[in-house]
Amino acid sequence: MAEKPQAVRVLYCGICGLPAEYCEFGPDFEKCKPWLRRHAPDLYPDLLLKEENETDADKAARQLQSVAISGSGDGDSSSAPSGSASASKQDEVKRLPGGKIKKKEKQEVVIEKIVRNKRKCVTVVKGLELFGIKLSDASKKLGKKFATGASVVKGPTEKEQIDVQGDIAYDIVEFITETWPAVPETAIFFIEDGRKVAAA
Amino acid sequence: MFKKFSLEDISAQNQVKASVQRKIRQSIADEYPGLEPLLDDILPKKVPLIVTKCQNHLNLVVVNNVPLFFNIRDGPYMPTLRLLHQYPDIMKKFQVDRGAIKFVLSGANIMCPGLTSPGGALNEEVLEETPVAIMAEGKQHALAIGYTKLSAKDIKTINKGIGVDNMHYLNDGLWKMERLE
Repeated sequence: MAEKPQAVRVLYCGICGLPAEYCEFGPDFEKCKPWLRRHAPDLYPDLLLKEENETDADKAARQLQSVAISGSGDGDSSSAPSGSASASKQDEVKRLPGGKIKKKEKQEVVIEKIVRNKRKCVTVVKGLELFGIKLSDASKKLGKKFATGASVVKGPTEKEQIDVQGDIAYDIVEFITETWPAVPETAIFFIEDGRKVAAA
Repeated sequence: MFKKFSLEDISAQNQVKASVQRKIRQSIADEYPGLEPLLDDILPKKVPLIVTKCQNHLNLVVVNNVPLFFNIRDGPYMPTLRLLHQYPDIMKKFQVDRGAIKFVLSGANIMCPGLTSPGGALNEEVLEETPVAIMAEGKQHALAIGYTKLSAKDIKTINKGIGVDNMHYLNDGLWKMERLE
């Protein structure tokens, strides 16, 4: 779009995508902080101040711990790493009481063969989207490769999965690892008799 | 409204015919007079205008895969926040106090006290059922787009309960959908 002179360019945070000034209300302010310090230091003047105070406190604590080691030069040289350490500590502490720890979904592709009409079956591929693969593209590719119908279907619990007609369980591993190198063979699983079996 | 919104909620995407395009353009121009000179930039005549229908009678106006406006049923068209950030002066503005920001950003409707308190500000001319930009105390950019339930005067006198419905706010589903594919 051609920018008219009136168009305002808003600085969006590189981490959370919000306008930088709203990072403090964003999903994870802690993670945004380093980015903000680099790109918009003037937006949060108190942020830097606070950080300094923290390092000060840190320094004081360390001085209490190791009274003997001589003074100020040492403290100055190591102040930067101590700052980062305190930040990470804060991270842990902050996340625990929140109780809302994001469950990271395991990246794996699950392949299941469902038999219908006794001699016909459908191969269900779940979890490709976790590798950043577009399901619609994937289904097209699968359909082309195996010359069957392949469609993106809403599976249980609102997850999308790919249904491929026919039994392609054995060729599919190779096909997946070849077309999407991001998917390691170790992340592919079959479901046999209700149990997960590694493909590799 | 867009708290949960993803590609799954889109039921149809259509390139609309010229007469409908004209109508949309006209109603946007009526609603936002400040936008009129820019309209050719925002909705270029050459590029096909796509209207995406979603659940709950929601329509999105999409150009070049970027959602620009939305409306509900036959209600007024409202710009998306990304567009509003570029042209902040097209909408009438309300301002909420700092304490309200975090609630607004999790999707709460805007309560009257948040607008009438010292940190808030009201545009006196606003009547009920008008789209407004929700600004925040001490912030430059809008954080939500609302649809007034009460007129500004009523908000002042009643000063209780919901004043503005929160339609679209930062980091909701529509915000995250920067581009449609």
